[in-house]
Amino acid sequence: MKFVDEFRDAELGRVVAGEIAAALEPGRHYKVMEVCGGHTHSIYKYGIDDLLPDNLELVHGPGCPVCVIPMGRVDDGIAVALREDVIFTCFGDMLRVPGSQQTLLDAKARGADVRMVYSPLDALRIARSNPDREVVFFAIGFETTAPSTALTLRRAKSEGIRNFSCICNHVTIVPPLRALLESPDLRLDGFIGPGHVCTVVGGRPFEFIPADYGRPVVISGFEPLDLLQSILMILHQLQQARCEVENQYTRVVPREGNLRALEVMREVFELRPHFEWRGLGFISQSALRLSDAYRDFDAELRFEVPGVRVADPKACQCGEVLKGVIKPWECKVFGSACTPEHAIGTCMVSPEGACAAYYNYGRYARQKEAV
Amino acid sequence: VNDCGEHCITCADAGVPMRVISFCEEGAVCVDDEGITHEGIAVELVEPVEPGDRLLVHAGVAIA
Repeated sequence: MKFVDEFRDAELGRVVAGEIAAALEPGRHYKVMEVCGGHTHSIYKYGIDDLLPDNLELVHGPGCPVCVIPMGRVDDGIAVALREDVIFTCFGDMLRVPGSQQTLLDAKARGADVRMVYSPLDALRIARSNPDREVVFFAIGFETTAPSTALTLRRAKSEGIRNFSCICNHVTIVPPLRALLESPDLRLDGFIGPGHVCTVVGGRPFEFIPADYGRPVVISGFEPLDLLQSILMILHQLQQARCEVENQYTRVVPREGNLRALEVMREVFELRPHFEWRGLGFISQSALRLSDAYRDFDAELRFEVPGVRVADPKACQCGEVLKGVIKPWECKVFGSACTPEHAIGTCMVSPEGACAAYYNYGRYARQKEAV
Repeated sequence: VNDCGEHCITCADAGVPMRVISFCEEGAVCVDDEGITHEGIAVELVEPVEPGDRLLVHAGVAIA
């Protein structure tokens, strides 16, 4: 398969892994963060961790859109979903994220009209076909998914569709990275940059990492060889005392990003002054809400939402996992009380969450080690 | 959750490579690498697009 098979060549993978081992300074422990949940998923799925030397540690970052949604926002969604006049739409993995009392799936079981959609455009189609009902889309995601919501709202506005609205939970990736870099808990040597976010925003927003914090960033694709090559590129920067944003994923990521996507996002969204991130707390200007021109489509203004902050369950350590402070298996409830079937924390819900990715793939490697 | 294969249709943040095969009223008709056909992919953000072009699609919208 063109553009896929070439990047899954096992023999070449072993060669690159050998070059990675040769590029490491003996006696030094390296920590590299993969920012994006899609990378975490690929790392465990393809066993990339197993190919790396022991003194090179991959730290999982906060780039899973479901994982960073706080419980209070889920409760807000459920409150709207329980209204009789509402058809509530969201992505499938959002259905199982626990709120303080229940999930959206539980609400659906109790009679709420909650429907899974693949795209916000599907939610708009539902609105067109149900003019007597209010159709609400629970929007989540980073800069990869925000253009889809923006484009959908632009279409809704131009078509004059009045029974469609959106609970906007879109977040941006740069502010949490800055928060992590300021954290004394974590010493990182470099970053594997989020390839698909950079497709939209380009590489420039990440230039503060080498400029202000002296850490290399390599924007990476999602296939195994992409990731191995990106790790090698980070190590080469460290070896050569270079520090910059490099693009490994040139076959997809243009330097300036997608200017049309950025333009529609600027039209539809504006920055929220504050937004709560699960495990990371409130971060200034880290999320999006609808702009004044699109206020009529803001479900938080159209319906009453509780807007109450809810603390995470005490047993759950998603916060530490999201900050890369602990590994998924170091959480007290990992794989026992918290599994993908009955998740306590968000990181176990989404396939991109570090806990779910590790539960699905990585635990086998650890079982082998134990034997 | 479990194994979603190459990509998960329920995941909020999965980028899916697709090839354009034709156009319909709401956008493009595309086929992904598993041979599944998707109708109504929005292509406004990456136009001009022609049959045979390869796109990266997030949540029904081509972003590259």
